[in-house]
Amino acid sequence: MANDTTSKAPEPKAIGKKPMRPATQLIISIAIIALVVIATLFLFKYPQKLGPIFITALVVTMASFLLLLILRHFILIWFSYLHARELAHDEIPENYPFISIIVPAYNEAEVIQPSLSSLLELKYPYYEIIAVDDGSTDGTYEKMKEFEGNHYGVNVSVFRKENSGKADALNYGIRRSKAQVVVCMDSDSRLTPEALRYAVYHFRDPHVGAVAGNVKVINRHNIWTKLQALEYIEGLNIVRNAQAFWRTVNVVPGPMGIFRREAIESVGGYDSDTFAEDFDMTVKLLGKGWKIDYEPAAVAYTEAPEVLLDLIKQRYRWTRGVLQALRKQKHLLTRSEGNITTPLSLWYMLFEGLAWPAMNIFANLFFVWIALVYGMTKLLVLWWLLLTILDILIAVYAVVMERESFSLVFYSILYRFFYVLIIDVCKVFATLEELVGLDMSWGKLARKGRI
Amino acid sequence: MRLDWVNILATVIFVSIVVTLILAVASYFAYKVREARRPKTAAELRQEGHSKTFFEEYRPSDTPATIAPVEGEAAATVNAPTKQ
Repeated sequence: MANDTTSKAPEPKAIGKKPMRPATQLIISIAIIALVVIATLFLFKYPQKLGPIFITALVVTMASFLLLLILRHFILIWFSYLHARELAHDEIPENYPFISIIVPAYNEAEVIQPSLSSLLELKYPYYEIIAVDDGSTDGTYEKMKEFEGNHYGVNVSVFRKENSGKADALNYGIRRSKAQVVVCMDSDSRLTPEALRYAVYHFRDPHVGAVAGNVKVINRHNIWTKLQALEYIEGLNIVRNAQAFWRTVNVVPGPMGIFRREAIESVGGYDSDTFAEDFDMTVKLLGKGWKIDYEPAAVAYTEAPEVLLDLIKQRYRWTRGVLQALRKQKHLLTRSEGNITTPLSLWYMLFEGLAWPAMNIFANLFFVWIALVYGMTKLLVLWWLLLTILDILIAVYAVVMERESFSLVFYSILYRFFYVLIIDVCKVFATLEELVGLDMSWGKLARKGRI
Repeated sequence: MRLDWVNILATVIFVSIVVTLILAVASYFAYKVREARRPKTAAELRQEGHSKTFFEEYRPSDTPATIAPVEGEAAATVNAPTKQ
């Protein structure tokens, strides 16, 4: 997912929904809170009023949720393993196309120079860098200008435009590129030297429109960033690896996305009407019938939020952006041009992003209630143990596949203890706000310059 | 002995779930308060139809600036200062 490198808020009218009036929003919020409080009081004061059928239904729902979770983990592991086996037999390409790397930036003075420096060290024969300053006010443009020119065959062009958002900045850069393949990346990312060489080979299939890169966290300084590091390799990259077996990766991440230029042009470029332009672009490509692959060796390191409130801000934007994009392209949930797995991939995104968090919160509350009211503490312990074992299993697999530090596996216990629940609560609130139509803006995450 | 461990673990899990939920909800509302108090950027103000009324952003231009002449003296021309 993209980090927020530009500050332009998208037009709410473009999504086709009128925001609710503040009074209506307040009334609905109070009604929901009152309902939750009444239900909680009722459940704790009069549990015997709930019939045995209701209790049985709840237990069956929980058991189904657990079964679904186990199935999901094993399916992800299986397909990601199959995709990894496919890649292991791939040959080294003989010809490399010319690539343009587009780097849009807005107020990224802390990180733009390490980012551009990393691009000059890529082990790729033919490429150029197009840096686009989106009206920065902190000296980002001046820092970019220091890189302008030819560096041992790599041409760096720097442009400045009025602030109009990341999507516009990307389109601006793509229009100035003549390459067949373009890389769209965030200005707070740092690519590994081999990233492009492995990624470009997927384009030998003429139906592949984009390749998602492997995004990892670089600033593993505290517990929040280490948990995010684990989440990226276990929750995001393994999922992409599994989806890539079907060539229907549903998010080409903002820090590292490699696109066939023809594919971008076929969908009209990036749109500015959502807060997740990377997901929006991916969905448009899938809807047009393009295949989207994933390359685990195309690694981009990015700076993750280091404090809890910044993390919540990021996930809030991701959730609302995904909903906006899905609402825009909702017709693709039932049909797409040529690729029947596209609707499945999008339904999975919807389920993982919305239904799953709500079910996880409900499940936790349900087992707490069962333990408190009926004294069934063993059920609570069993539930938690099963989930933790699953998390450890997938963490071990992810760490081995990604050749990461084994110490991340121990964080999977904390991951289950509190991290997942915090993120899920944020997602549920963000979903409610999007459904109610509350206004939102990009804002900017504070950069620490860790890359 | 085994039952004791189960009860201890259940208590730890129960407390962590409750504390985490409270922390999650509190953090979310703290985030909303922080965002509400954040000063708006120029782009956001423009989108809402307001213009920045306080500072105008200074951009060094290529053309030289002209200093208005003091009474009795000719106008002077200086180069526009460059950003360090």
